[in-house]
Amino acid sequence: MTRGTRVLASFLVAALSLGFLFAASVPAARDIAGELRRERGRLLEMKEREEKTASELTEALRKEKLSKGRVGELQERLKAQRRLLSRVDRRISALNETLERTEKAVRDLEEEHGQARTGLQRAEAVAFTGQRAGEGDPSEPSARERERYFMRLYLAADAEGVARITLARERKEEELSGIERQVAVTERKRTQEKKVGETLVSRQEEERRRLADIEREKKRKEKELKSLRAKIARMESVVSRVERQVKERERRARKGTAGSAPREPAEAPRRFASLSGGLSAPLPGKVVTRFGRQHDKTFDVTIENRGVEIEASSGAPVKSVGQGEVAFAGAVSGFGNVLIVQHGGGLFSVYGRLETFLAKQGEAVKKGTVVGRLPESPSGKSVLYLELRAGGTAIDPTSAISLDR
Amino acid sequence: MSEHRSLWWIDWRLSGGPLARETIGRFLFFCLLGFALLSLLLSGGANRLLADRYAITAVLRANIPSAEADRLARKIAALPPVRSAAYRDPEAAWKEFLRAYPGLEPLRAAGGNPLPGYIEVRIRHDRLTGDGVSLVVSALRSVSHVEQVLAGEEWLPRLLNAGRYASWFCRGLFGAFLAGFFLFCRLQERGRAVSLAGDFAFLAERGVPAGRIAVSRAAGAAVSGFLLAAAGTAAGGGALFLLLRKVPLLEGVIGPPADLFLPRTAAAVVVFSCGSALLSAAASLLGWRGARSGRK
Repeated sequence: MTRGTRVLASFLVAALSLGFLFAASVPAARDIAGELRRERGRLLEMKEREEKTASELTEALRKEKLSKGRVGELQERLKAQRRLLSRVDRRISALNETLERTEKAVRDLEEEHGQARTGLQRAEAVAFTGQRAGEGDPSEPSARERERYFMRLYLAADAEGVARITLARERKEEELSGIERQVAVTERKRTQEKKVGETLVSRQEEERRRLADIEREKKRKEKELKSLRAKIARMESVVSRVERQVKERERRARKGTAGSAPREPAEAPRRFASLSGGLSAPLPGKVVTRFGRQHDKTFDVTIENRGVEIEASSGAPVKSVGQGEVAFAGAVSGFGNVLIVQHGGGLFSVYGRLETFLAKQGEAVKKGTVVGRLPESPSGKSVLYLELRAGGTAIDPTSAISLDR
Repeated sequence: MSEHRSLWWIDWRLSGGPLARETIGRFLFFCLLGFALLSLLLSGGANRLLADRYAITAVLRANIPSAEADRLARKIAALPPVRSAAYRDPEAAWKEFLRAYPGLEPLRAAGGNPLPGYIEVRIRHDRLTGDGVSLVVSALRSVSHVEQVLAGEEWLPRLLNAGRYASWFCRGLFGAFLAGFFLFCRLQERGRAVSLAGDFAFLAERGVPAGRIAVSRAAGAAVSGFLLAAAGTAAGGGALFLLLRKVPLLEGVIGPPADLFLPRTAAAVVVFSCGSALLSAAASLLGWRGARSGRK
């Protein structure tokens, strides 16, 4: 429920009150009543439009918030995606460096292997020819034997060297293929992540466009709402003027009959206080919305509250603030279930946003009689709308009843 | 007695000139024989040559410290059959190996030295036998530092046999020369006895027994033979000494010059001189008998 709808409901309650008053007014004022009905009809229509616009604006704001959230989320994801891509790039760069080093190592090992193989073959040739030349030489048989033995050691060492280089080369080649696989996997990952990034960018752009549309729509709605509220205010002033005229007539009629002195609006709280048995709070709770002109931060407008909102525990019973008779119990747009108690002398108390009624229309109630119950809420808190009217004028309930602020 | 002694030198009195020529010839021959004898004696036939060429190689394990290897070499050198034991470190082994296979040096410029150090063990020439070698080899194989012992087991028996045959051949050759010399001396003695037959008949007619003449001549031949052999061997020894000093290469075949002055060498010379004396006497007697019987 927005504040605009509350204003509308206030007006409706006022109108209802006036309806009761008009039931007792002079038939000679038919033209004024007709004008009042027309104005009231127009006002209701405008209020409905305002309510619709306000709900659309709320929806636009919700969408804007959602869209901004999505844009922010997309931005965060894009940042994360860029960081990931950067990491992947660094990883690819490091892998490429490692790849180059390993390729060079493999080339070196291949060259070394070739040299070792050639060396071994030449050594074998030297050994073969040397052994052939020395065979049967009796001059140095022991030296020849030693040289042959050493040649075997030499060849074994050479062969071992070749085998070692071969093994090292094979390992390096395996390492190389592993790095190549890693590079390929990382490249694939980079491509995928790039695609994801592109998708995120396009989604972000789309979301930004949507947000721009929403913002445009919001501005349009705000403008429309302001215009409507201005019209409503003008309309309300008209209705108030008519109401004043009605009250003037009523006052004149009463003067003619009772000769009693007119009562000023400033005396309204005293009038409520002078009710039989006095007044009491409808339920224990804290006033969360005050009476009178208040600035609405959401819509950046100043609205007129005709009552107060009392926050209480959900499901709490609502009691009549004073003795009287239930004049109305039914649903009112923007206020949910509304119950109006007529206390006599032009004094009314209005209870809005009830879940259930525990008193019927026309039923007499005393001060403290439970007339309804607040709705249940998951948060454990519910709000009661309370409005007091004296002679068709809304007064601040906190001036007549002791309420926690 | 003096008569007997005069009979010893009767040939000198009766035939001085030819006998002087014979004596010079025999001296020269004894020089040759003495040279050959001493050479044979010092070389032991082919043993000296073989012992110089043959060596046992004890290949050490890798990373044996040089000090440890030197200590081991000294211990091995103390074995009775061992003439010398020298440690060669891996660097020296590598250089020797590259000298043997010079083509390998550039091939392994960066590969390092794969060869270990080794100890080269030389056997005394007079102990170069299968048993002597086996003793050293078994001693070496029991040492933990030794990786491998290269003793030429495959070809050593053949080498020793060849040395044995070469020694026999040298000794046989020497014996043949000696025998030839003996026969030559016998012929000379017979010839001289024939030429002096008239003189010996004159002495017999005057009461000098023929046997006494023959024995006296033989005694004179023995004394001259002893002296000639001793002098000839000494001269031959001197020549050998000079030769060995001049040509050190021959030391590997014959032996060091110092060995000529060993007591056993001198004893061998005395024995040879005595033998020569006996042979000279025998040649004189046989020549006398041949001349008397008219046989050649």
